[in-house]
Amino acid sequence: MLDAALLNRIGRLRLVARHIRAGQMQGERRSTKRGTSVEFADYRDYARGDDLRRVDWNIYARLERPFVKLFEDEEDLAVHLLLDGSSSMDWGGDGEARGHGDTETRGSDDGEVRRKGSSKWEYARRMAAALGYIALASGDRLSVAMLQCPMPNAQCSMSTLKLRGKGQTLRLFDWLSGLQAAGTTDLNASLRAYALAGGRAGLVLLISDLFSPTGCTEGLTALAARGHETVVLHLLTPDEVDPPLSGDLRLVDVETGEPQDVTVDGGVRALYRRRLEAWQDELRAICRTRNARYLPVTTDAPLDRLVLHDLRRSGVVRG
Amino acid sequence: MAPGFLNPLALLFAALSIPILILYMLRLRRREVPVSSTLLWRRLLRDREANAPWQRLRSNLLLLLQLLILALLTLALARPFLPSRSVVSGSAVILLDGSASMQATDVSPSRFEAARRAARQIVAGLGAGEEGTVILAGPRPTVLASAVTDHAVLRRALDEAVPSTGPADWADAFALAAAALAGNPHAQAVVISDGALPPDLPALPGETRFVRVGERSDNLALVALAVREGAAGPQAFVRVTNSGDATAQTSVELWTDGALFDVRTLTIPAHGSAGLSVDDLPYTLQVLEARLSGSDPLPLDDTAWAVRSPAAARRVLLVTPGNLFLERAVGMLPGVELTRLAPGQPLPDTPYDLLVHDGPLTTTLPSGNLWLIGAYGAGPTTVFTATALARAASDDPLLRYVDWSNVHVLRAWEVEPPPGARVLVEAEGGPLLFVAERPEGRLAVLTFDLHDSDLPLQVAFPILVANLTGWLLPPGGVSETALHPGDPLSLQPQPEAVRLVVTAPDGSAYPLPVGQAAPTFVATERLGVYRVEQFASDGSLLRRDPFAVNLFDAAESDIAPRDVIHVGQAEVRPASPGREGRQETWPWLAAAALGVMGVEWWAFHRGMGRRGGTR
Repeated sequence: MLDAALLNRIGRLRLVARHIRAGQMQGERRSTKRGTSVEFADYRDYARGDDLRRVDWNIYARLERPFVKLFEDEEDLAVHLLLDGSSSMDWGGDGEARGHGDTETRGSDDGEVRRKGSSKWEYARRMAAALGYIALASGDRLSVAMLQCPMPNAQCSMSTLKLRGKGQTLRLFDWLSGLQAAGTTDLNASLRAYALAGGRAGLVLLISDLFSPTGCTEGLTALAARGHETVVLHLLTPDEVDPPLSGDLRLVDVETGEPQDVTVDGGVRALYRRRLEAWQDELRAICRTRNARYLPVTTDAPLDRLVLHDLRRSGVVRG
Repeated sequence: MAPGFLNPLALLFAALSIPILILYMLRLRRREVPVSSTLLWRRLLRDREANAPWQRLRSNLLLLLQLLILALLTLALARPFLPSRSVVSGSAVILLDGSASMQATDVSPSRFEAARRAARQIVAGLGAGEEGTVILAGPRPTVLASAVTDHAVLRRALDEAVPSTGPADWADAFALAAAALAGNPHAQAVVISDGALPPDLPALPGETRFVRVGERSDNLALVALAVREGAAGPQAFVRVTNSGDATAQTSVELWTDGALFDVRTLTIPAHGSAGLSVDDLPYTLQVLEARLSGSDPLPLDDTAWAVRSPAAARRVLLVTPGNLFLERAVGMLPGVELTRLAPGQPLPDTPYDLLVHDGPLTTTLPSGNLWLIGAYGAGPTTVFTATALARAASDDPLLRYVDWSNVHVLRAWEVEPPPGARVLVEAEGGPLLFVAERPEGRLAVLTFDLHDSDLPLQVAFPILVANLTGWLLPPGGVSETALHPGDPLSLQPQPEAVRLVVTAPDGSAYPLPVGQAAPTFVATERLGVYRVEQFASDGSLLRRDPFAVNLFDAAESDIAPRDVIHVGQAEVRPASPGREGRQETWPWLAAAALGVMGVEWWAFHRGMGRRGGTR
């Protein structure tokens, strides 16, 4: 799923939550616990009951008073990796929306230049694999879930996987490669269901194209209310950013099957791009007020560059 | 008559709009394209429709334009018409006056153009299936279009018609019209003219209509210009007519070989003429040109030319047993060097231009120009005495001013004229005088002995002798030096000439064959001075002979439009366009359809360009 070189390079990274520190706790406070790691934090006076092994004997020898060395406790982070499993994610790339390949007629009459880039679903899974690997490698608790929740108010049964430790990497990869995007997904319902399902508040990484008829505002609100800190990775293919369409068309939504008649010309295409930018601005604003970060990603960006450069610059990963 | 359609069945073509609509719907069955999500498109279209409610209409613009084109073409095919006024109803035989007077410019741009316009209107008024015939009445009337229903062909025929510089032969034109009317008994003849028609035209079947063109009658015309050898050099005679209603004054310019020689003022009474003579013209004069100053409606007759042929001494050999009248008459002719021989004497070696043989032939006929008088050959000859005048070709130039009516002949020999001969005077018993062109020369024959008639005592005799010798002794290379437009001119090339070229006044050259005896030049339509040039085999110019073509037609120069023409017994007055005609409007519709097609093409490509522009 990911090549070894990339794994090597991203294995040193760790995911960063800006506000969440303690494992089970939701806190605005600075890290309270002193732990057992090797990172020195402070000294304090010895108190009765303290572990004698922590007394700094060198200090005691010099000052003749016992001091206890304090170390940073290494808290694990709950990382929730949410993958939009709607069929709109199964789009684009050289494979041309597997499952729709036979009816694919995207080549327009004036000879379309095919865009390079992998399928959105493939790209999403690789991105999930990379981010999951980072989480596992840095010892975080990882929950991976594929969001497939067709009805707005139905009970969502989503497949989730909980993993911990670098040793689980292969399991993660196997599980991811077994996933298949299909059907419709109501993002709001899915996110709400995930928030209600509990789990430690932590860092939620949502990989989705956000093509949900009802939007994702309520879902993000629910996540924020649960204490999660969300990173929305808004994944689009280049086709979706600048559709190579022209003429009198009937656009068929692969997810809902709904047709939409449209006559595409240069003006309409420009309008589409403006409309997309407005939508992204709108999403960014929604995220800002819901303790979330918004990151637009297109599938023509190389994955290593995305993880090592873009995500690092936006502060999602560090290291 | 109300507006309507000539071909209403064509309106059924409107049904073609159904396939167009179907095709349009088929075309609009949109190509299905799967996309990952229509979410953005939906929002986009909501914005767009809110912003521009006319967008939906714009997409149908092409359909509307196409339907409009179809509507226009269907209407054009149905041939709608508006009622118009025309002088004829039904098929028409148009007699277009192409005589010289139609070149008068009293109506702008000319009478002929006005006549052409009137003819076009008549053509435009012809309905479906109604035939039009166009006859151009010039010196040689021609049928430009015969029983044609296609307006385009008729219009083209009218466009090709050009007026001539001569008088119209109306009798021939009416004969052609009668033939055309015989083919279509419902047709009407329309004479488009200024009315200068002869009064004795035959009646035409059906009613004849007359469309008059021309307004003014004031025209000064040179009707005669001649050069004569006077005692003190060449003399010129000029005659000018005035067809206007007022006395006119003009100045006559005389140009000798291109240089202005004299200007004389002349006062011409209304409907009259005035003449003047000019003496002391230069001895070297070759071409005299007379011009009337000022402008009048008909410029054709304001210039005239005369060619002087300085008479070289012509050698005439007279073989006669003794004929005082003949000797005197021939010897008196200017420029003639007469040699007299008695019959039986051998012919002299020196060349001569004309042999006049009086009396019975004793030798075989020599070649060259011959005038035989009372001659009969060695064979059996009979004599007839029925010499009462049967016919005299008084319109022949050779009998000009020759009054034969008082000539009495006792007896004459029966002589069979050779083929192609022109019999000038015929008695009941046989020809008295005939002329013929032979390859070896010209021939004139009087079939009686002058002593057997009182002809030598008549005034006609010296005139006849002058005419005949003048014809038998052609001045140089051309038989005549003054012609009317369209007159044929027979040329007499010298034996050594291998090339013969006639140069017209406009500079165009007409090479003529020299193999035959007397080549004839017929392209004398233009007025002016022509030049006949003969070249030897080494290319050198043998001689150059000018001749002039002048209108010199008082009837044509009298441009007054007539109020009535006589056709048969009927008097025909100018017709007013009161009859019902039909003005077809399909060309406008077709042009509109073409325009809309252009707009549609532009709209289509503009749409394409916008689509591809952002690529």
